[in-house]
Amino acid sequence: MNSSSKQLQSAQSMNMQSRLLAHAPFLVACSMLVVIVAIYGSLQTGVFTIDEINLNTAAAMTLMLAATGQTIVLLRGGIDLSIGGMISLGTVIAATRFGDDPANILLWSGIILAIGFGIGALTGLLISVLRLQPFLVTLAGWSILNGIALMILPTDGGKVPEWWIGSGYLEFLGLGTPVWILLALIVFWCWFRATRLCTIIKATGSSEKSAFLSGVSITRINIITYGLSGFFAALASLYLTTQIGGGSPNIGTDYILPSVAAAIIGGVSLFGGRGHLFGTIVGAYILTLIGNLVFVLRVSSYWQPVMSGVILLLAVLASSYAEQKARKRGS
Amino acid sequence: MNTFLSRNRLIVLAYIGMLLLVLITAFFSPGFLSASNLRSTFILASFVGIVALGQTFVIIGGGIDLSIPWVLNSAAVLMTLLCAGQDLPLIWVVPLLLAGGGLIGLLNGAGVALLGVPPIIMTLAANVILQGLILVFTGGTPTPAAPDMIKFLSVGRISGIPVIALIWTALTVLAWLLLSKSAFGRHLYAVGTNVTVARYSGVPTTRTTILTYVISGMTAALGGILLTGYSGVAYLGMGDSYLFTTVAAVAIGGAPILGGSGHYIGTVAGALVLTILTGLLPALNLSSGALLVVYGAVILLTVSIGSETFSEMWASASNRRKRIKEGTENG
Amino acid sequence: MDIVQVKGLTKRFGGIVALDGADFSARLGEVHALLGENGAGKSTFIQILSGALNHDGGDILVDGQDYRPVNPDEALGRGIAAVFQELSLVPDLSVEQNIWFRREPRTWLRTVDVSQMRQQTLELFERYHFPSIATTREVRNLTLAERQIVEVAKGLAKNPRILILDEATSALPASEATWLLSLARQLADEGRLVIFISHRMGEVRAIADRVSVFRNGSTVATHDAAAVSDDQIVTEMIGRQLARLYPERMDTATDRVALQVRDFSSPPMLNGVNFDLREGEVLGVGGLQGHGQREMFQSLFGADKALGSVTLWGKPVCFDTPRQALSGSEGIALVPEDRRGQGLLLTKSVRENLSLPVIRRFSHLGLLNQRKEAELVRETMKSLSIKADTPEQIAGTLSGGNQQKVIFGKMLMTQARVLLLYDPTRGVDVGTKGEIFQLMRQLASEGYAILFYSSDLPELVNVADRVMVLRSGRVARMLEGDDITEEEILRAAVFDSEAA
Repeated sequence: MNSSSKQLQSAQSMNMQSRLLAHAPFLVACSMLVVIVAIYGSLQTGVFTIDEINLNTAAAMTLMLAATGQTIVLLRGGIDLSIGGMISLGTVIAATRFGDDPANILLWSGIILAIGFGIGALTGLLISVLRLQPFLVTLAGWSILNGIALMILPTDGGKVPEWWIGSGYLEFLGLGTPVWILLALIVFWCWFRATRLCTIIKATGSSEKSAFLSGVSITRINIITYGLSGFFAALASLYLTTQIGGGSPNIGTDYILPSVAAAIIGGVSLFGGRGHLFGTIVGAYILTLIGNLVFVLRVSSYWQPVMSGVILLLAVLASSYAEQKARKRGS
Repeated sequence: MNTFLSRNRLIVLAYIGMLLLVLITAFFSPGFLSASNLRSTFILASFVGIVALGQTFVIIGGGIDLSIPWVLNSAAVLMTLLCAGQDLPLIWVVPLLLAGGGLIGLLNGAGVALLGVPPIIMTLAANVILQGLILVFTGGTPTPAAPDMIKFLSVGRISGIPVIALIWTALTVLAWLLLSKSAFGRHLYAVGTNVTVARYSGVPTTRTTILTYVISGMTAALGGILLTGYSGVAYLGMGDSYLFTTVAAVAIGGAPILGGSGHYIGTVAGALVLTILTGLLPALNLSSGALLVVYGAVILLTVSIGSETFSEMWASASNRRKRIKEGTENG
Repeated sequence: MDIVQVKGLTKRFGGIVALDGADFSARLGEVHALLGENGAGKSTFIQILSGALNHDGGDILVDGQDYRPVNPDEALGRGIAAVFQELSLVPDLSVEQNIWFRREPRTWLRTVDVSQMRQQTLELFERYHFPSIATTREVRNLTLAERQIVEVAKGLAKNPRILILDEATSALPASEATWLLSLARQLADEGRLVIFISHRMGEVRAIADRVSVFRNGSTVATHDAAAVSDDQIVTEMIGRQLARLYPERMDTATDRVALQVRDFSSPPMLNGVNFDLREGEVLGVGGLQGHGQREMFQSLFGADKALGSVTLWGKPVCFDTPRQALSGSEGIALVPEDRRGQGLLLTKSVRENLSLPVIRRFSHLGLLNQRKEAELVRETMKSLSIKADTPEQIAGTLSGGNQQKVIFGKMLMTQARVLLLYDPTRGVDVGTKGEIFQLMRQLASEGYAILFYSSDLPELVNVADRVMVLRSGRVARMLEGDDITEEEILRAAVFDSEAA
């Protein structure tokens, strides 16, 4: 009898609890979402219809896309504040360059996505080569990109064609565009999380030194993660233009800290290495649905930031509590 | 003093950069060196400088304070509401609001130092919670004009010198004494350099960390009170830009975002640089977008100059730094 | 034909010469042991060999061809893998993910083939008789010993021709250490080269075919293990006879109890420790690693929590923080285990480091009296002969020995007269070691009470007045007088009640 398989079995039952603890932050986020949906659903009719799902997903989608990139950077142990500038820049480029010709729009969409990845990659390169702190580099990046956006389009304006806006509201099999984007994101993540690259990104976030000693090129990982973050920010900006119908040179700033918050609420660790996109998606839904909750509770909409702040703190405290527990168990 | 200079090369560079900037500005807009213009530049820089004082302490201690905008907004709004344009209530309103700012700082510090919440998350949550509460409390309605006394403190002069410049100078001296000449300063640098070593050396690490956030809360509140005097009224959102400018001033002043070194003397230069830039760009006919680009570029430049890569290049002549990094590691 | 040939290898870090013309040669099918003191250049040597560092000068030939890897991947391309003492495992990944990191088997979708990976892990574990570790556990939840085993598995998973084991047994309990030794033998018998670094002479004797001795950055000699005596190796390692390393023993202990510890416990590591430390005494603490020594030192200093009663100079105390332990004349000072992580602010000056614990003492009306501070700092530097250009020299630029002296200085500037020394000579050169022992004796004669843990048995035997051996978080034996020998300490440390 091979002893290894025996040890595997006994280990798996022993593992159950520590695995549960490892997922505690995500489970906490899920239960918070359930509570919010329950309250919302008990006070408002028609919450559990496809229309409502389409509507709320549409409201959450820009944040979800922005937070997807943020999640990847957070997993690597970094942070990307420049996405705010990239989102603004994306909307103003679209609003000023799209025109009516679909071919042209396709071209410029590609250019915007390329700019997003390129600038992110440059950020990652800079962080590696000069060994800089991502917080300050991406803060400067935000300022620069936001400034460029303002130079292209000093105030809200420009326009994208009606059919482009309409493409954000298409329905297929009863599900709207944002829900299909969400499904695509989920499929993407199911694949991505199983790749070597994702393991390497998480490993680098968990312990840069260990990853380096194991032969990981930190520069390459920085270029990829910040590049992906810029790419998803650009994607968010394209989606956003279908919502606002034009360009807005400062709008991205509203997504910087919420994108971090969505990830953290969903159980992604600020210190890197732990978390996944599903948590971030739940976090983005929570932050979005708080707005609806405030509405159906008939309290001042000003309570919305209070609630999101409290939920953020609760999420962080829950995960640090779980971590302490896990650590005690480990030692 | 010699050691101060040799250890704070970046601060010296910040002042050299500031002088160059003054020369450039004077070249492009000859009116810049006029007394009235210098005075208004100083007044504007004072607000940034005063609010950035607390941020400097927090960053030296290894944290960051994102709650500054709404502490500032709250103090401004509450001050005008409670005083209703009268000078007399200031006697109790100002101390109350400073204490309130300190209390927010205390909560931030406690969350960071006692509960282990990452500073970014703790202060971000404090910011949005405070935002919501103050909006609920005031209903977002406009508030009365600032009391005359506050106006005097913000824009008044004593024998030609702006009062606020005097306040700023006094605070700078205080900050210098605290950082360079007090036991608290030593403790603070130790905590920011390595909190474990500090703890093992008998430093009251928890108290020191909390104090930095208390100071930051108080200077943000003070900034808010004074800023109402400058604009004449308090409005929500007046503090929004201060998150970026305080971090930028600290960074330009040469303090590494990871803590452990830097000095408020550098932040003073940072605040002046940012303000002079704001004045320079209109003279060059540049838009507000260009200003953001320049801000970002300046931050990027200063953090690059302060980066390990650059300092190693500098130090390779004397070969000292390298010894720290590697020499002791591989005996 | 030797597979690895090294000639005149040099490596410099700033002004410090780590390798100075080292020669080395080894062949497939042997276990080749590297011996040398800390700082002799062994670890730099294997880091270069494994591609973690580049060398400055000299030649390395592998298979007779020039070898100059720029990273560990390239080294592996030539068949060389290392198991470092500094663990390269990623805490947030599972055991199997770590073992196959960047080498995972993949499916057609380019995703990791988890079942295949698990299969490979089990095959590897079975082939080399690995101790049982669940392959799906996250490494962060493993003990140090388990991590070391996973690290070995990770090295083996690369199927190298040359495997470097850097003090891989030091973190392992006896049974696992034995397994690792037989594994090394098995690998050599499979036709691989195992380069084996250990401080334990017994292990080297048990498996090594040949032995190379490093000293001061170069190789002194290579011997057939069977044809060389322990004495000769030790002499070569040290470079001179062990003359005056240890100070003369003096009995300065008085009857006054400085530190009385009763039922001191913090399960699972500490389970009721009792002892008295007297004024003027150096009380050694021995035992295998991980038997409660660290927890005892940390808790006595207030850096960790523990239950039980502690009495200092006759007064009961209870320290919750190091700050409380260090304040006042009835305090306890600790020279901590991790010099760089717990002891020194590496980027700050010697002056700032020295005065940090007592900086308040120079505070008058809230302002520091920097002249008084400078004076006291200078005095301390002089009395400990800390070799720094000025008090403003950055602590990180000092040699390891001088750094340790600064930490001693910090603690001596406080008024605490009970000193806890946790492995104070680790990574310290021989000269400074002697000075530290001298200092300990001198402090004892001045009335300090010293609790002294060392991972090095000879130090305990030669310096301590009494030695208390910890086992499973309890005092297994208190050795006095002629009983203090390496043998007795080991016996008390190793033989637990079941075996006895």
